[in-house]
Amino acid sequence: MLLLELTIQGLIQGAIYALIALGLTLVYGLLRILHVAHAALFTLGAYIGVIVTNETGSILLAMVLSMVVVGFVGIGVYRLAYKPLLDKPPLVALIASIGIFIAAEEVFRIIFGAYSMSFTSPPLQHQIELFSGIYLSQARVLVLVLSVVLIVFLGWLATSTRTGVAWRATVSDAEMAASFGIKIESVRYLNFFVGSALAALAGVMVALLNNLVEPTMGAVPAYKALAIIVLGGLGSVQGTLFAALALGIIESFGTVYFGHVLDRDAIAFAFLIFVLMLRPQGLLNRT
Amino acid sequence: MKKLIQYLFFSIACVILGSALAFADSVKIGFNVPLTGFAAADGNSARLGAELAVEQVNAAGGIKGNMLELVIYDDQASPKESAPLAVKLITQDHVVAGISGSYSGATRAAATIYQENATPYISAYAVHPDITRAGDYIFRTSFMGEVQGRAGAKLMGELMGLKRVAMITLNNDFGQSLANGFKEKSAEFGIEIINEYEYSIKDREFGSVVTKVKSDNPDGIYASGYFFTAGPLVRQLRAAGISVPIIGQEGYDSQKFIEIAGPDAEGVIITTSLDRDSSEPVAQNFIKDFEAKAEYPTDMVAASAHTAVLVLADALGRASDDSSAALRDAIASANVDASTGHIAFNALGEVKKDVQVQVVKDGMWRHYAVISDPVLLAPPAE
Repeated sequence: MLLLELTIQGLIQGAIYALIALGLTLVYGLLRILHVAHAALFTLGAYIGVIVTNETGSILLAMVLSMVVVGFVGIGVYRLAYKPLLDKPPLVALIASIGIFIAAEEVFRIIFGAYSMSFTSPPLQHQIELFSGIYLSQARVLVLVLSVVLIVFLGWLATSTRTGVAWRATVSDAEMAASFGIKIESVRYLNFFVGSALAALAGVMVALLNNLVEPTMGAVPAYKALAIIVLGGLGSVQGTLFAALALGIIESFGTVYFGHVLDRDAIAFAFLIFVLMLRPQGLLNRT
Repeated sequence: MKKLIQYLFFSIACVILGSALAFADSVKIGFNVPLTGFAAADGNSARLGAELAVEQVNAAGGIKGNMLELVIYDDQASPKESAPLAVKLITQDHVVAGISGSYSGATRAAATIYQENATPYISAYAVHPDITRAGDYIFRTSFMGEVQGRAGAKLMGELMGLKRVAMITLNNDFGQSLANGFKEKSAEFGIEIINEYEYSIKDREFGSVVTKVKSDNPDGIYASGYFFTAGPLVRQLRAAGISVPIIGQEGYDSQKFIEIAGPDAEGVIITTSLDRDSSEPVAQNFIKDFEAKAEYPTDMVAASAHTAVLVLADALGRASDDSSAALRDAIASANVDASTGHIAFNALGEVKKDVQVQVVKDGMWRHYAVISDPVLLAPPAE
């Protein structure tokens, strides 16, 4: 029973990692840029979620608004920071990205204050009996359900719609796709919009689980998501999902049984090193 | 030409007079505090507490007619920042003494430099035992972690009668020193530690630890942390249906903890240094004045920074001459009633005072008990 409960906790954490890392892997797949500033969008999403919920009382509205606003901010980051650097080596964009991330933390602190922000009356806190003896708060159940729904929806989008086909064509060969009349720029905008909106949703979810939003909350996801997309084999969506869930479960058991030796992050990175020694191409990729 | 020379002389005289006045007017105190980065919230409270103390001292006429002046630098709670800042404060700003409004790492690094320059330095709330061991110019006006951990053991074992305790420990110097003190005395107060879990300061999500603690089924939980880790932790413990007493420490001591944990904060008990229901006028005045200045209720770091400044101001007033050594001796012989209790130091520069126990009641920190046990709470003297 305990093992099952720990696995569920791990899946919840993994689902949040997956939402964050998906955007990162989408950007990497398309532009070969390591988009560290993605974690700043996650923080922004969390702030919007808490502020809108506190003002209107509706968590649903907060989620939608947060995803839309952050989606457009994501497009803005691409347009203003990455697009002018596309013909430079990828390292230049990476440095720009790190710069944006650090600056964003301080901007959040100046705008929203150094103190954390919380829901005045946190929504979705009732307990649901999942099955005999296992209770989860509504918020935790929602994390699981929403992640599955969104990921299935994205999978359908990528395989069964014209937009999805255009997107996949651009990922595999941008020039070729352009010559077939695909508007590369629109694909990139869509890519940043979707990825950023997912990060925003993850931010709102984390705010719901912890009832705490703070300027530096993106620091851990910033590097953890990088580790996840490396684990997943850079640019692979399935690999990223698998790596996120695996890492969630490993951390869940690790913090309980090895927490006095290694902390959560150390466990995650030990796992990363271990996997890369055996499978340098990532968990799922073939050599 | 003559006019020009006159003008020049006049301006030079003004500058000299001006700077002479400035020197006569202010006694500079260095203050390193995290104003950006992860500890910025605590740093902001500490700064406001210190500024309040300076305003109070100056309103009462200053030090021997001179005004106190805080020279404040942001150390980001990092030793990389605090060490060069200490050098700058001592050699360029010529402060008479320094106060740390920062965490242990930053405070330890700065303490070494203050000691090398024979300039007194007071740690307002950093807990690491090695801080005062940097030398005889270094003091601490708050509890060492170990001392507070021992008080926690007495509180849980003797006052509350809890037998089987699960520990959730923050794996930095703050959490570790609390855990050491707690474990050292737990057997003496009849406590059996059934399990101990550790987490990092970056963790806000405790799903798996909470699940495991629930299956341990303890009588009580001794959880170390700061308000930004303890708030989510307490919430998640209660959300999982764990209803046993949760005992924390001064890191919880902020209205923010109650805001984050919400109704789940009710009944959480902590060991700390500020008694909200104290009958001491100095504490009551501080609580009232701080809220007026900061526009939010006071917390432990604000009270601790306020205390440290008052102790230094008192020593500046009593020092026999302007030398660092005289100031050091005056601090060592402190006998001050401050917002966090009566401050007097032992040979190592550690404070000897009672531990306050507070409980969350109706969304406010309230008096629960006082642990006053000079033997149990004695800090090391060397």
